[in-house]
Amino acid sequence: MATHVSGSGTPIAHGAGGGHAHHSDHRSLGHWWIRIAWSTVVGGALGLALPFLLRFVFQMDPLWNEQVTVACIALFSGLGFVAGSGCFDWWVRWLLGKPVDYDDHSFHGANSWRDYFRLNTDHKVIGAQYLGVIFFFLVVAGSLAELVRTELAQPGSQITNGEGYNTLFTGHAAIMIFLVLIPAFAGLANFALPIMIGAKDMAFPKFNALSVWMLPPAGFMMLAGVMLGGWSSGWTAYVPLATQGGTGTTLFEIGAQFAGFSSIFTAVNFLVTIFTMRAPGMTIWRMPLLVWANATTSALVVFGTPFVAVSQFMTMFDRIMGTHFFDWAFGGNVISYQHIFWFYSHPAVYIMLIPGFGIISEVISTFSRKPIFGYRAIAFSTVAIAVLGFGVWAHHMFVSGMAPWLRIPMMATTMLIAIPTGVKIFGWLGTLWRGRIHLDAPMLWALGFMSTFVVGGLSGVFVAILPVDIFVTDTYYIVAHIHYVFFGGSMFTIFAGVYYWLPKMTGRMFNTTLAKWHFWLTYIGFNATFLPMHWLGLVGMPRRVMDYDPRFANLNLFISAASILMVVGTVLFFVNIYQTIRSGPKAPWNPWRGRTMEWLVSSPPPLFNFDAVPQVVGGPYQYGHVGARHAIIYAPDEVGGGEYVETDRPNILVIARDAVTSKPVLDAIRQLDHNGHWRFTLVSPAEDGQDVAGIERRQRLAQSILERSGAVVATKVVTGEPVAAIAAAATDLHAHEILFATLGLGQSDWLRSDLVDRVRKATGVAVSHVTLSAAEAAESVHDAALSHVHVIAPNGVDSAIVDAIRDRVDASPARITLTVPAAVPAPEWGDEANTRRAEAITAVHAAVESLRNQGLSIKGEVWDGSLLDAAKAIAKADRPDEVLVAGQVTEEQLDAIDLVSRNATVRTLTGGAR
Amino acid sequence: MASDAHAAPAIDRAGTSPLARMNPAVLGMAIFIGSEIMVFAAFFVAYFIARANTAQWPPQFSGVEPFEPLPKLITGINTAILVFSSFTLWWGEKRLAAGDRRGLIRGLILTLMLGSTFLIIQINEYVHLGFTPQDTIFGTVFYLLTGLHGLHVFVGLCVLWFALNRARKQNEFRHGAAGPLVAGSIYWHFVDVVWIFLYVVVYLI
Repeated sequence: MATHVSGSGTPIAHGAGGGHAHHSDHRSLGHWWIRIAWSTVVGGALGLALPFLLRFVFQMDPLWNEQVTVACIALFSGLGFVAGSGCFDWWVRWLLGKPVDYDDHSFHGANSWRDYFRLNTDHKVIGAQYLGVIFFFLVVAGSLAELVRTELAQPGSQITNGEGYNTLFTGHAAIMIFLVLIPAFAGLANFALPIMIGAKDMAFPKFNALSVWMLPPAGFMMLAGVMLGGWSSGWTAYVPLATQGGTGTTLFEIGAQFAGFSSIFTAVNFLVTIFTMRAPGMTIWRMPLLVWANATTSALVVFGTPFVAVSQFMTMFDRIMGTHFFDWAFGGNVISYQHIFWFYSHPAVYIMLIPGFGIISEVISTFSRKPIFGYRAIAFSTVAIAVLGFGVWAHHMFVSGMAPWLRIPMMATTMLIAIPTGVKIFGWLGTLWRGRIHLDAPMLWALGFMSTFVVGGLSGVFVAILPVDIFVTDTYYIVAHIHYVFFGGSMFTIFAGVYYWLPKMTGRMFNTTLAKWHFWLTYIGFNATFLPMHWLGLVGMPRRVMDYDPRFANLNLFISAASILMVVGTVLFFVNIYQTIRSGPKAPWNPWRGRTMEWLVSSPPPLFNFDAVPQVVGGPYQYGHVGARHAIIYAPDEVGGGEYVETDRPNILVIARDAVTSKPVLDAIRQLDHNGHWRFTLVSPAEDGQDVAGIERRQRLAQSILERSGAVVATKVVTGEPVAAIAAAATDLHAHEILFATLGLGQSDWLRSDLVDRVRKATGVAVSHVTLSAAEAAESVHDAALSHVHVIAPNGVDSAIVDAIRDRVDASPARITLTVPAAVPAPEWGDEANTRRAEAITAVHAAVESLRNQGLSIKGEVWDGSLLDAAKAIAKADRPDEVLVAGQVTEEQLDAIDLVSRNATVRTLTGGAR
Repeated sequence: MASDAHAAPAIDRAGTSPLARMNPAVLGMAIFIGSEIMVFAAFFVAYFIARANTAQWPPQFSGVEPFEPLPKLITGINTAILVFSSFTLWWGEKRLAAGDRRGLIRGLILTLMLGSTFLIIQINEYVHLGFTPQDTIFGTVFYLLTGLHGLHVFVGLCVLWFALNRARKQNEFRHGAAGPLVAGSIYWHFVDVVWIFLYVVVYLI
């Protein structure tokens, strides 16, 4: 609901949230991050001291064991980070038996960008937080990849040595897999999935927050691992390479635990959400395929991730504690590492793909305007891939020296898994066939995904065949295959998903042209980079080696050059995201005309997604079926229930006169608009004999500001006895709520006459109340959404200029700064100077006063210097959008002003554009 | 996850599957136990691979003193204590179902005492065993498996202590509305069941 207006007497009771009391946490961003900082440091110090003390107590020698200390510092500072973020606060109170509020929603929802940078339990915010984290680490890991390509651009050593090169590609792979691909899907599904099934949030919102806050420590540990070195085992961390590693390996092993726990918590959360929180009518065969995909993936995570966690613990214990899991000399078994590792890590491939399949199913169906072909087949094949995925792990180990009898069965199961994957591909092709294909950005990525993923999938069938695998093992063929699957597969689906849901997440549309450039640059760059690697591998270039035979030189240089295209594409992607968030045009509810439930609510969705429990009445992909519906979204009871669609916006009357352009009122309206789907009518009661034109002018100003930020605003001036007039307006305009803006008690005539309470009684509509100080009400509008016009009047201000300014504002709303350059003669403290200055001040004062009374937002300034000095200073300090020169001025002067006025348009007040 | 159980959404679940009507905390814990089983499974995989690769068990290496047999009897008694603690917890929940809140608190306290006893006896066993995790693969898998289980017992004890806190200080949990308590108790039963399996595999076979 989050509609608490500062100083409001009665909180506005929207239906949004279904009666949850919502009191936002008001601690500042600084408070949280300072807390995180000291908590991390304290954790690190504890990690430093603990092994020392324990070794001292148990009289171990030596007292310092570097790697044990590194592991403890990483573990405890990571936990400190999470604790500092506030994830545990509620639980600690609960655990200690203190009173807790089970309906505590104080961390739910976002009102400003700041709320995205601190603890939040709203699944929509958490989804965005996930994406923020993964975009950061996408840049990190992408930079590492470019460093790898720089090293490989030519034979011999370019920028690093063998050890450094090993660290680079290890860090690239580990961060891409653990911090980008896996959590990206968790983030996208976090945003979309609860809305898709008609739930208000995830089942365990606090666990959800914990999951995302565990990611940054994991990522920074791995990043530190790259910087500190001693991590050259590859992301698979095979022993004995990993047991011979150093600090970097230790940090990876602890970081992987954080990432692993994060995924397990999210997976449990998804499963419980999907099982228990589906809206009425959402049977399993009506679930969107993304929901199917995430249910399946979550099961994979729950049963697979513990294996990689354990494998990393075992490696770490072998290295820093002297155990013998993988030590032949004392009965350990090296191969057992690979078995345990791949038992997770092969299913992990599907963890990174299946949610992507879900996204593609949504996108392909929506942009082909056709029901998905073979809904049940795709759903079952998802489950089949997951089940089979647990039976193929040893195909990574054909040449490892494992039991030879395992080879053929693993080869067979691996080839078998191509069948359900093929079912999906043909399902999508069937959907496209004779569809009405719309090549919007998400669809481009989906089609790009299909073409590249088929290449990656087929080369996967190749390498499943035992003799082929033995031939291409540890060559660039494998590098090409993994990138066709992870980049051309997973990453493309992530981009498809980001573009698909970005309008819903931000409430704003992205730049389509930039998005298409991003796609084509990446698509061409991707294929130019990775396609030649197949050939390199087949002719024998080994992977994971920094130097190579000169005969591979040309192709490698080409690959390194081509990879830069992807960098450019990614930069465009981030520019686009930034512009969308900052200044994208307001997105409609359903820009892609999708059928699933997230498209049936506003963009961005209301605080608790649905104002009333929705009813699912049909399948999610019934495109082209006349009258078919997926779900009915209801309006809350307060507005009389009934169905809710985009055009229904309950009306909120904003009662304000002089204060209608003041910041507190505008902010209150913006916040209401952000949290719900309302329209607003600015109602100003005019007193008898008051200048109605001035009031209307002020209303237009406010309207223009609010419309810039996407609100739907109308205006109305009422006359006569205020209570009766407002009550009549409330009836005429079907007011849902009334928002009053008055001065404080004692200053306000309206309050003195008890207007607010009388209106409440007369209308019977919920009334809330913003109070402002006199200063706030009088302050001229200083809003970036309104264009800023500077009027310079070198020859003083007369009534003609005043009228011209008013006409300018009537033509298009703007805020005005009126400057009179007095050009006082030297000395500036002399009598003549004082007189000139005083005259100018009086003139400006009178003009400003008169224009304010006519409803303009204007302030005045007097400048000692000349016209040009004033223009220069204004351009520097205020950066106006427009400079108008009033009075007599020569062409040369105008040119000079134009020169110093930066980007502002310069013209004379009475016309004459330049 | 237990803590969010009360915030479960008020969606009309009439006519939905039994799974959908489960308490979210209990369902979440059941799924999480699936994860826990896989953690133990990974260690057991290492154990069985190691065991399959040596001619005798415990293994013999030149220059390494042979291992003394594990204290089967004492650990057997300890096993009985842990199993008994599962029954005291079950009894406590049964008392709650009968409306006897003090019975629940007594059951929880009894369970906590038995669980702590198990942990103390286990630590005492570690002290007197005469070999360390660094002593060949046998020491490694023995300590890591029993240590992992010990950690789970500790976590389980904490969970039950928290539940006791809630029951005593905030007078929480009613029959049919005790999601966190039920989640904690199935965790405790899981820890017991794992121990029975572990005792049979590591000590007896």
